[in-house]
Amino acid sequence: MEYEYWLAAMEKLSGRKKYLLRQHMKSAKAAYYIEETELERLSFLNEKDCHTIKQAQKSWDVHARYEKLCRQGIRLVLVFDEKYPKRLGQLSDKPYALYVKGEMPEECSCGAAVVGARRCTPYGEKHACEFARRLSECGVQIISGLARGIDGMGHRGALLGKGKTFAVMGNGVDVCYPREHIGLYEDILACGGGILSEFPPGTPPQGFHFPRRNRIISGLSDVVLVMEAKEKSGSLITADFALEQGKDVYALPGMIDSELSGGCNRLIAQGAGILLSPELLLEELEFYGKTVSGKISQKNPETEKVLETGENMVYSSVCLQPKSVNDLIEETHLPAKEVLGSLAALEIEGHIRQISKNYYVRS
Amino acid sequence: MQVSFSTVLSASIVGLKVEPVRVEADVSNGLPSFSMVGYLSSEVKEAAERVRTAIRNSGLDFPAKKTVINLSPANVKKRGAAFDLPIAVAILVSLGKIRQKDVGGMLVIGELGLDGRVRKVPGILPILLEAKENGIGKCLVPKENAPEGALVEGVSVIGVETLRDTVEYLNGNYAIEPERYHDAYEEEGEDVAMPDYGDICGQGAVKRATEVAVAGGHNLLLVGPPGSGKSMTAKRIPTIFPPMTREESMEVTKVYSVLGMIDSERPLIRKRPFRSVHHTASRAALVGGGAIPAPGEISLAHAGVLFLDELPEFSKSVLEVLRQPLEDGQVHIARAHGTYQFPANFMLVGAMNPCPCGCYPDMNRCTCTPGQIQHYLSKLSQPFLDRMDICVEAPKVEYESLSGKAVEESSAAIRERVCRAREIQNVRYDGSKIMSNAMLETKEIERYCVLGEEEERMMRQAFSSLALTARTYHKILKVARTIADLDGAERIGVVHLREAIGYRTLDKKYWGR
Repeated sequence: MEYEYWLAAMEKLSGRKKYLLRQHMKSAKAAYYIEETELERLSFLNEKDCHTIKQAQKSWDVHARYEKLCRQGIRLVLVFDEKYPKRLGQLSDKPYALYVKGEMPEECSCGAAVVGARRCTPYGEKHACEFARRLSECGVQIISGLARGIDGMGHRGALLGKGKTFAVMGNGVDVCYPREHIGLYEDILACGGGILSEFPPGTPPQGFHFPRRNRIISGLSDVVLVMEAKEKSGSLITADFALEQGKDVYALPGMIDSELSGGCNRLIAQGAGILLSPELLLEELEFYGKTVSGKISQKNPETEKVLETGENMVYSSVCLQPKSVNDLIEETHLPAKEVLGSLAALEIEGHIRQISKNYYVRS
Repeated sequence: MQVSFSTVLSASIVGLKVEPVRVEADVSNGLPSFSMVGYLSSEVKEAAERVRTAIRNSGLDFPAKKTVINLSPANVKKRGAAFDLPIAVAILVSLGKIRQKDVGGMLVIGELGLDGRVRKVPGILPILLEAKENGIGKCLVPKENAPEGALVEGVSVIGVETLRDTVEYLNGNYAIEPERYHDAYEEEGEDVAMPDYGDICGQGAVKRATEVAVAGGHNLLLVGPPGSGKSMTAKRIPTIFPPMTREESMEVTKVYSVLGMIDSERPLIRKRPFRSVHHTASRAALVGGGAIPAPGEISLAHAGVLFLDELPEFSKSVLEVLRQPLEDGQVHIARAHGTYQFPANFMLVGAMNPCPCGCYPDMNRCTCTPGQIQHYLSKLSQPFLDRMDICVEAPKVEYESLSGKAVEESSAAIRERVCRAREIQNVRYDGSKIMSNAMLETKEIERYCVLGEEEERMMRQAFSSLALTARTYHKILKVARTIADLDGAERIGVVHLREAIGYRTLDKKYWGR
């Protein structure tokens, strides 16, 4: 295994070449001790690759590195392994190795990717969380990228639904990026989920890693849910991968003048599924024969909120678009102090949320 | 009838304090010379040339004799040009042009031009107040400064225009009426177009928040995008303050007098100051400074409003020095040769954007990353934010509010309510050091902000569901106390608490997430 790690972690050598080298030499250990003359005879390696391998032979302390990997609790899953996700096996550009902290997604249960913009609106945030929660309650595994915004809310929602969730990173699995998601990172592991990456431990996050990891996100899932995306965004890359891989893509419809819903609305126009409610989605998943455990409950009738008249007026004006207290005063024609009072009452009761100073959204 | 030695009383300003100075002159036979002693700064030394020329140009003779001037006490540094006139008078007494007894018990102050004209000097008001304390009945001041001097009752203030007039007056050949105190000084000067709350349409929350802030003496933080009328609102805050008391007026006028900022038409400052400070301001400019410290912006804003726009752009160290004056209502500036004290009891109004680009939380327009927003907010320290009791959002000004369809409440109406609330506080805190609800400390909050059972229950719920800290909790109680006072309510009710919760400063942690 030490030598497998050596080969897998080698930078500047593509997965395909690693695969060929490994097949040719029968084992990574053999590849490590390969003679220089033999190396140069291999047709699929050019001069640069040979140099890379020679360098790696010298600079890599095989045993110490592997020991460290084990100490960190990171598992190495190679493309030949039985544990290698079947879903990824079908990809043309499948990763040569996966590094896993925690668990791997289960083969038999359905997986849904929740993807979207990092800088998202409260609307996207709310529904990412809600869909993920409902799906995970029904045993669907939520797969996302631990990024800020939608990704984070997807994981959060899955944890609220007491389900398993898996994060595919654009950096080493031992690096938590973004750093403020360290709490989420820990929670995912604590709840039986996992952190996955094709990049060796210690790899820092880099811009070009992220589009690549998106193919794994879509590859590991059966459906891809795009919650909020601009017309040009990384989430659409994921959707493209999903379509190439033959996965279903669903998008959350949004207002046509909201730039952040532009990408989603475009996907719908192009024929993507439309996310109307978690229940409808679950029904569709079941129809297509995806394993969905737990029963699909009917949407809970909205619990009638017992509110005072003033509060009711204010509450009905608050929506998922952030509104300032002055907007609300103008809409309700109530005096400022009354509106502020009602807002505070609604906030205490948890009906609304203050997302910036005096900007409120429904929660 | 030449006497060789003479003495004239004058005074100098050190910080806001007045140092009496005795100007002595001695003219005797000997090699012609003019020397001045007495720990003088260079502007005082230059007086020699001005005085000599002014005397000659006033049609008086300046004989070639040995002239020595001494400014006593010799251990106090003398600064400023206000000693010109007393030096000239002292020399003229020595030369026998004026009798010594005519200048006895009189304070003389003023700068001289080469033509013998007497020019105005700063600091007349504190000097005359000190003179009155010391039992001096008559003061000779520049004509332009005379109205300012007349604010001090019980001292006869003679405004002189030229050195020639001065000599004639002292010799009894020319009568100058002592400057009289005009009742017009008491007026606020309504004729000047004053900004008024009636000009602002909409923006109900901001208006209400400022009303509460002024009623309880709370500091205010306005959060809003650029061009949202934050400074427009701030400018109008002084108009809803209770009218200035005579005492406050005198304190403010003293500060302005020392800095030479008095209008000779209206010497008494009756309008509450509004000082807007640019974010490039240095520490010294804000709190006062200099080798001999001069009052800074916070003292100029005494009894009024200090407005800091673009709060996070201020350098951190500048904001930190505001903390002590905000607590004490005055500022102490320590120098090797002594400590200076200036009044600085002001209401702080800060304004800032919600994020560097100003569009947050409109995510379709905001271009800032969470990191950038955090960095922007991190420029304000928590202890500084803790001094802002009320925080409110200032929205973008919409076209409807510019076109002005509705009749808005005027400043006068708001001011009436504020005055009532202040009156209630004055009665409640009678005999204690507290002047407004904002000054309540934890102990006093427990005493004056008692909650009923229902209120207690609501606050307990709010504490957990809104993740309040102990500090925010106390601030909410203080502000609720003010809102109850505005309502004329004896006890703090649920409605008051709810409104106060709306004004709380959001924890930086939850901002921009």
